[in-house]
Amino acid sequence: MSRGAGSLPLLQLVLDCIGVGAIVLDAERRIVLWNRWMSQHSGVLGDETQDRNFFDLFPEQRDKRLDGAISQALRNNLPSLLSQTLNRWPLPLYASKSQAEQGERMHQALTVSPLNMDDGQRFCLIQVSDVSAAVQRENLLREQAMALRSQTLLDDLTGVANRRHFDMAIDREARRARRMGTPLSLMMLDIDFFKAYNDHYGHQQGDACLEAVASALSTMQQRPADLFARYGGEEFAVILPDTPAEAAVAMANAMCRKVHDLRIPHQASHSSERVVTISIGVASTDASHPGEAYDLINAADRALYQAKACGRNRVESA
Amino acid sequence: MKPSTVLIVDDSRVSRMLTRQHITVRHADWVIEEAANGNDALVIARDLQPDLVLLDVNMPGMNGVDAAAALREMLPNAHISLLTANVQAATRQRAEAIGVGFMEKPITAERIAQLIAPLEA
Amino acid sequence: MIRLSDLEHDALVELFNIGVGQAASAMSEIVSETVTMAVPAISFLNRAAAAKLLASKSTGSGRICGISQRYSGAFDTDAILMFPEEKSQEIVRLMVGQAMPLDELTAMEQEAMSEIGNILLNSCVGALANIIGHELHGSLPDYHVGYSQDILALSGDSETVVLMLHIEFVVERQQIAGDVAFIMDMSALQDLKQHVALYLARAFGGEQP
Repeated sequence: MSRGAGSLPLLQLVLDCIGVGAIVLDAERRIVLWNRWMSQHSGVLGDETQDRNFFDLFPEQRDKRLDGAISQALRNNLPSLLSQTLNRWPLPLYASKSQAEQGERMHQALTVSPLNMDDGQRFCLIQVSDVSAAVQRENLLREQAMALRSQTLLDDLTGVANRRHFDMAIDREARRARRMGTPLSLMMLDIDFFKAYNDHYGHQQGDACLEAVASALSTMQQRPADLFARYGGEEFAVILPDTPAEAAVAMANAMCRKVHDLRIPHQASHSSERVVTISIGVASTDASHPGEAYDLINAADRALYQAKACGRNRVESA
Repeated sequence: MKPSTVLIVDDSRVSRMLTRQHITVRHADWVIEEAANGNDALVIARDLQPDLVLLDVNMPGMNGVDAAAALREMLPNAHISLLTANVQAATRQRAEAIGVGFMEKPITAERIAQLIAPLEA
Repeated sequence: MIRLSDLEHDALVELFNIGVGQAASAMSEIVSETVTMAVPAISFLNRAAAAKLLASKSTGSGRICGISQRYSGAFDTDAILMFPEEKSQEIVRLMVGQAMPLDELTAMEQEAMSEIGNILLNSCVGALANIIGHELHGSLPDYHVGYSQDILALSGDSETVVLMLHIEFVVERQQIAGDVAFIMDMSALQDLKQHVALYLARAFGGEQP
């Protein structure tokens, strides 16, 4: 063997210099190579590992993904990837001494590759990378994306105003109505027997139903100041400034009819007609009966409850 | 020893042929019927009254587990076993709950030998 | 186009079902949830027809996530696991249990998808290799995103054949449909057919391999 690039001592130096862990197992899963990176980050020295069975050293890995990957390499000659996301901290490795003391394992990504020698012997190489920096970046990204999302005013699923938008709007409109002496109406509505719908058709179709109902109803509001919002799971609310009770009730009836006429099948509905329907509670304030936002919401809620009690697919007002 | 009756249920023809072969190699006199789906299996089993039923789990229409449950009711004394490559805990538990056996695929001579052993005893 | 006999076709479908069944086992181990996978059908198409078929099935943006691995040995092929981009997000979310409110997969999520591809493709190819008694050499997974014709254009030419597997993937009662494309040239397809025929002859002819 010539000196220089092909020589064994030089290759050993290279292996002990690289910034990834390298473990080589023979066909019996005994450790035949354990580089310096592994020693440094596991606290287990190369000498201690020679010829020891990998699973004696790491018994909790038996029958897990890593075990399967080693088998794939040794038996089927196929390489495997163990992503950090799906396999958290498989090996007891630590980025630093202080983290070792706190028991904080390093975020690791592993690959397992077959090695075929000329004489027919097969080994497998396990490479370990420290991906802590990448994980940290992603956590930051997630936090920022979540923060950005919570600042929006739109509901993810239906695209109508979200609860946050509703809460701000009802406060604002209630104060304005009191100040100006104008009427303010509020509808609270929800989909009848929605839990039964979800149980029967599944959540994906439940979501589709919510989208369809929201889509049909949100286009009915006439004026820019009117607001159609998703209040909760299957509950929606409509804020109608400058709208007296009678007009609000008339609109509510039209909305009720519209959803009924969509004729969305609902086999699990307790009503005779087996289509999706809504119930609506309407409450109003005016110059002679001013009220706070929460009074209005409570009154509309009670009216909604009344509508349910009276058979659903109807409008009741406070 | 009286020849046994076996019902093989699998939507794959190759699978059925393989299973049949592993059995006839050991017991040329046993009666072996086949069904390609759960519904046919129930119809055949009613008349056949097999001693052993081997079912693939993953079939179109009625899946193997539901078919096994129905067969267990129909044939309280038969040996019934599910065959699947997907050996996770949930399926194993369901098999136990129904009172049927559970064997890993791919089908091999050794595995079939294990499955027919109770009939040879 | 080389045609497989009914029995050879059946043998391949059963083989791939065993492969994805084993992959489902491995994945349920990872996420501690019930995972089932099945291959209801396979077909042989030329590359243009395969791209068209995939495009016709898409409902969202039309963009596809593809995880590819190259295999060589008993036969040569580029295997690609494909899901619509929005479905890939669903899968990662289901497997990992954590949502990332972005429209594209992040680097870590791409790595997770790559591992899923790695598990599934190795399982399929491994099952095939075991039964036909010959080993293959495989690569680690590569992640791609694009439209179907771009993903399939990653290898071969207009003469290449695509063995398409339709995959049904069920996690937490969510059913997700995907595809696996094995891209090969005619000689690789011939090798494959020969190996399957030999396997059947051995299994039912009583001959030694």
